[in-house]
Parts: sequence; structure tokens; C-alpha cells
Amino acid sequence: MAKVVPRPELTFWERIYFVEIFKGLATTIGHAARSLLKPETLPTLDYPEVQPDIPRDYRSQHRLMIRPDGESRCVACFMCSTACPARCINIVAEESPDHHIEKRPAKFEIDLLLCVFCGFCVEACPCDAIRMDTKKAVMAGDNRASFVIDKKQMMSWNPKDYPLEDTQSQKAPGGALNAEALAAFKSGDHH
Amino acid sequence: MTIEMWLTLAKLGLVLIPFALVPVMILLERRGAAFIQDRPGPSRAAIPLPGGLRIRGFGMVHNFTDGVKLFFKESLVPSFAYKPFYILAPAIPVVTAVLTPALIPWFGPITLDGGVRVVGQFLDANSGILALFALSSLSVYGVVLGSWASNSKYSLLGGMRASAMMISYEVSMGLGALGLFLLVGSFSLTAVVEWQAAHAWGILVQPVGFFLFVTSMFAECNRSPFDVAEGESELVAGFHTEYSAIKFALYFMGEYCHIVIASALIATLYLGGYSPFPFDLHAFSIHTETGSYFDWLPKAPYDAAFIARNLGTWIGIFAAGTAILLLGAAAIVGAHKKRYASFKASDQKARAKEYGFFIAVFAIIGLLAIVGAVGAFTQIDPASEATRVDGVVRYPLWVQLATAAIQVGIVLAKTLFFCWVFVWVRWTVPRMRYDQIMALGWKVLLNVALVNLLVTAIVAKLVGVGK
Repeated sequence: MAKVVPRPELTFWERIYFVEIFKGLATTIGHAARSLLKPETLPTLDYPEVQPDIPRDYRSQHRLMIRPDGESRCVACFMCSTACPARCINIVAEESPDHHIEKRPAKFEIDLLLCVFCGFCVEACPCDAIRMDTKKAVMAGDNRASFVIDKKQMMSWNPKDYPLEDTQSQKAPGGALNAEALAAFKSGDHH
Repeated sequence: MTIEMWLTLAKLGLVLIPFALVPVMILLERRGAAFIQDRPGPSRAAIPLPGGLRIRGFGMVHNFTDGVKLFFKESLVPSFAYKPFYILAPAIPVVTAVLTPALIPWFGPITLDGGVRVVGQFLDANSGILALFALSSLSVYGVVLGSWASNSKYSLLGGMRASAMMISYEVSMGLGALGLFLLVGSFSLTAVVEWQAAHAWGILVQPVGFFLFVTSMFAECNRSPFDVAEGESELVAGFHTEYSAIKFALYFMGEYCHIVIASALIATLYLGGYSPFPFDLHAFSIHTETGSYFDWLPKAPYDAAFIARNLGTWIGIFAAGTAILLLGAAAIVGAHKKRYASFKASDQKARAKEYGFFIAVFAIIGLLAIVGAVGAFTQIDPASEATRVDGVVRYPLWVQLATAAIQVGIVLAKTLFFCWVFVWVRWTVPRMRYDQIMALGWKVLLNVALVNLLVTAIVAKLVGVGK
């Protein structure tokens, strides 16, 4: 049963249109005066000089998490590329020199032009190796090849750009928790 | 050369005022639209100067970059267009826009030695307003001719709609203004302004006629809410769909010129032209047995002689007004500077420098204007130099020229205010449907105009104001 929304009945003053125009003019001049005299209340950003504050859980460009020794956390299990609906993740596995870890990616590429930024890869990853919290929401390039990001690009992030509560990021080289994490890692505790 | 010839040349310069105001008008439109929509507005184009100073001029640089772009863009003529008319059409609105201000009085009549009277308009035709209406109505030819010569469906539909609308509203425009001319008894625009200076502004004696005239002027200028000629949602860009580069720029400039002229015309007809006060203020003076209060309020008429008599005060008022405006502008720029300093912006230093530069310029000129105001209030006294010729007080030429300059300033202030009203209404009232526009024009405005004319005629006859 469709719900019928009745048209609002206009009063006499609304129907002659004249008074309402002046009410509208009062509204717009209020906004103009506010923008002119109280610019600090403007909601609009002076983009791109002023960048918007993107929340940490916004699904932005990917990064690969790093172990305390500087290697990638990825074990080349292909879970992310299997989960990917856009098939934009291209992984080539190789044998890991670390005897605790079976495989590692020789190549890890994401085609950002194919990516739909659904975040399934992040959810599929069993090792917390891939994340989408770089806050890089605007990507620009002058050729298609520049949109295919490789392992090196995805691992070149700075732990200082991430909050201290993000312990996994801080365990990477240069992070606040790297020293003790590296000691634990060397002693054989891989988790 | 005689003084008269110099004055004629100066008036030729005044005729170009609407054309010179087009960049101001475009800036007003961009910034006004931005501020009404809670945006900061145009901020990209800048002139880089040494020392990291980037002058954006509050968006004024955008106008020049736009102009350069439109001048140097390829001037494309579609193969299906009828070439002669296609090229001729954009010139028509610009030509009429340059011609019409010749009929608007920018200052009151000046009496030279030997009794030569110089009026404040380039052409003081007896037909006055009729010639102005005739000229400004010619701009409809630009729309019709351009749309037809483009040989495109969208253009033709837009042009037809625009021409039908402009012609319809011409009727109520003429009838709406007629009430005022009935009271004045002359079609000469100088006579209209002199009448308003002696009695009261047109907006007070003819409020209905004022609204009729303004509404019709919005339609005449093809402005929102009557801008169906370029209804983007259904007609791409209306009559100038097939125009680009400098030909489009001519249409654009013609349109904005038309707005400035319409504002000047409204200021002349209904806001008293160069008369500073809306009605006889002296009527408020109270006389009792113990004395009279508010007796210092000036007596009408507020014509050129009134301003010449109190020239020092008026120059002082203008300098003080300029000072208040500039210092206010400095304060506003300061607020914007403070806002921008609170951001993590990449061009922090350049912006701070630019804002600081403008604050300094405004503050210095504003303070100079304050000094000028004080000086004018205390030093200028033209009464000592006045002579009496045939029982009429005659002031020396410099006093009369200064008076004329003040009157031009008054007309310009009113014109700019109404330019802002055009922008303000455009960003407030949504576009009307075509049938609604036609219904409003023929079924409402025309009848209101006729009734207004009838009532004005009867009242004028009973009171005995009109001729």
C-alpha cells in the first residue's frame, strides 16, 4: 500500500509569493554576512591548500605492514587476492629465507585503477599484513602505470604518522615499540 | 578649449562607467554567490610579486585571466551557422549597453559663467526615458538574432523563450514607470531627479510602481528568477549554446553591462538619483512655545545648490564614509587572515603576507580619508565665494565641479547597491517555469500596473501634484 504524501496547503501569503521572497532574501543575506564577518564559522575548506581531516578508518590507499626486522608481514597466502572482487591484487610468492616462515611475496602489486576500495583484502588477511588506513584518498598520476603500486611503495610509510595506540605500526623500524619488539622477534616469538 | 567642451568630454567618460563596472560586477557575483553559499569564493589566480607576495585581489585576478583566456581562445564558427548574423549578434547587446548610459543623469545641472547650463547626462533628450527604453529593448535583437543564426534547436528555443519573455515584461515595465512620469510631468530624466529632490523619492510615492519596474527589469536583464533563456537543465545554455571565445564574452559583458544600467536606471527613477535624502527631513522639526527642536534638519529640495551650500559637510561625509568602509574592510580581511592562520595550510606564509599587505593598504588609505574628512569639515566653506547673479546664488566653478563629483558618488553608491540586489536575488529565488513567468507577466503584473496607473492618476488629480 503506497503511502500518499499530501501536498502542503499554502496559505494566502505564501501563495502571493511576495512575502516569501523577502524571507528568502533575509536568509541569504544572513549567510552572506556570516561568511563575510565571521569567516571562522565557514564549513568550507580552502582545498587543496588545506586538506580535510580524514578519519583513520576511512578506506584509503593500501599499505603493507612491516615486521620489527623491516620485512613485510605478508606470507603470500593469496587470501587477499582471492577475496578481491576487482581482481586488482597481483602476488608472486617465493620461498622465505626465514625458516619460521614458509613464503614471502616476491612481487605484491595493486592496480589502484581497478581497486574498488571495498576493504575485503584487509578483512581476509590472516596476518594483519595489509591495511587501508593511509588517509591517502586523492591519487593523481599522468599515466596508468603510475597507479600500479608495488611492494616497496606500500611498505614505505613512516610509523611516526600513525598513533601510538596502533601498536602493530609502532613495532616497525622507526616506531616507538620497535626496540622491544625486535628483541622479542629475535628471541623467536614471531607473534 | 572651453570649459563646456571639457565638461562634455568628462561626461563621455561617465558614459563608460557601466562598462568599467563589469569586472566589479563579475567579482560581486562570484564572491556574493560564494558568501551566500557559505564558501570562501575564488582564490586561485594570483599575480606573483617578488618577496613571496601573491596578490589575488579578492578574486579580481580571475577576471583578467578569464579575459585573457576568452580573447586568445579559437573563435569557432559552426559550419551550420548563418555567418553574417552569427558574428553580428553578440555585438548588439554591447553596443546598446554602451549607448544607454548617455541618457542617465550622473550629476545635477551646472551653470557656467554667462548662464550656460550643462546638464549631467550626455544627451538630455526631451524623450529621455522613452529613448532609453527603446535603446535597452534593442538588446533583445542580440538574443533573437544570435539564437536564430546559430541554427541549433537549443539556441532557437532559448532565444524564442527569452524574446517572448522580454517583450511581455516590457509592457508592465513601461506601465509601471508611467505612474512616476505622471507625477513628474516630464519624460526628461533630469526633470525626474529634480522632482524627487524637491519632493520625495520615487520608491516612496510609487512603491507599487517600484516593485513592478524592478521585477520587469529582472526579466529584461534575463536574470534569475526569469533566466529561462539559459535554462541549463533543459536548454544547455540557451541562446549562446553555439558561442565561444570572445563572442561569448561579448554576450557575457553585455549582460552584466545591462545589469549595471538597469541598476543606474532604478537608482535614477526610484532612489532619487543624485538626491541624498529620501524626503523633506525638515518636516520633522517641532515648533513649540519654548522653542523649536530638530530645526537644523535640512530643507528640501536636495539639489545641486543644497550640496554646494554645504560642500564641506558633504565632502567630509564622503571621506568619512570611505574611511569607515576601508577600515571595515581591513577588519574583515583581518578576520579572514586569522581564520586562515588557524589551518595547517601549505601556502600559510604567502596568504599571511597577502592579507597583511591588504590590511596595511586599507588602513593607510582609511586613516588618510579620516584626515581628509576632518579637513573638509573644518576648512571648506563655499558660502564666502558665492556671488549673486539676477537674485540667484551662483558658486564658483570648482564648487560646482566638486558638487558634481559628490553627486556622481551618490548615484554610483545607489547603483552599486542595486547591482548587489541583482546578485542577491539571483542566489535566493529559484528559476520560475516558463508558463509561470508568462502568467505572472500578463495576468498579474500587467493588471497591477494598470490599476496602479489609474489610482496614481486619480490621486494626482485630487491632490493636484501632477500636471
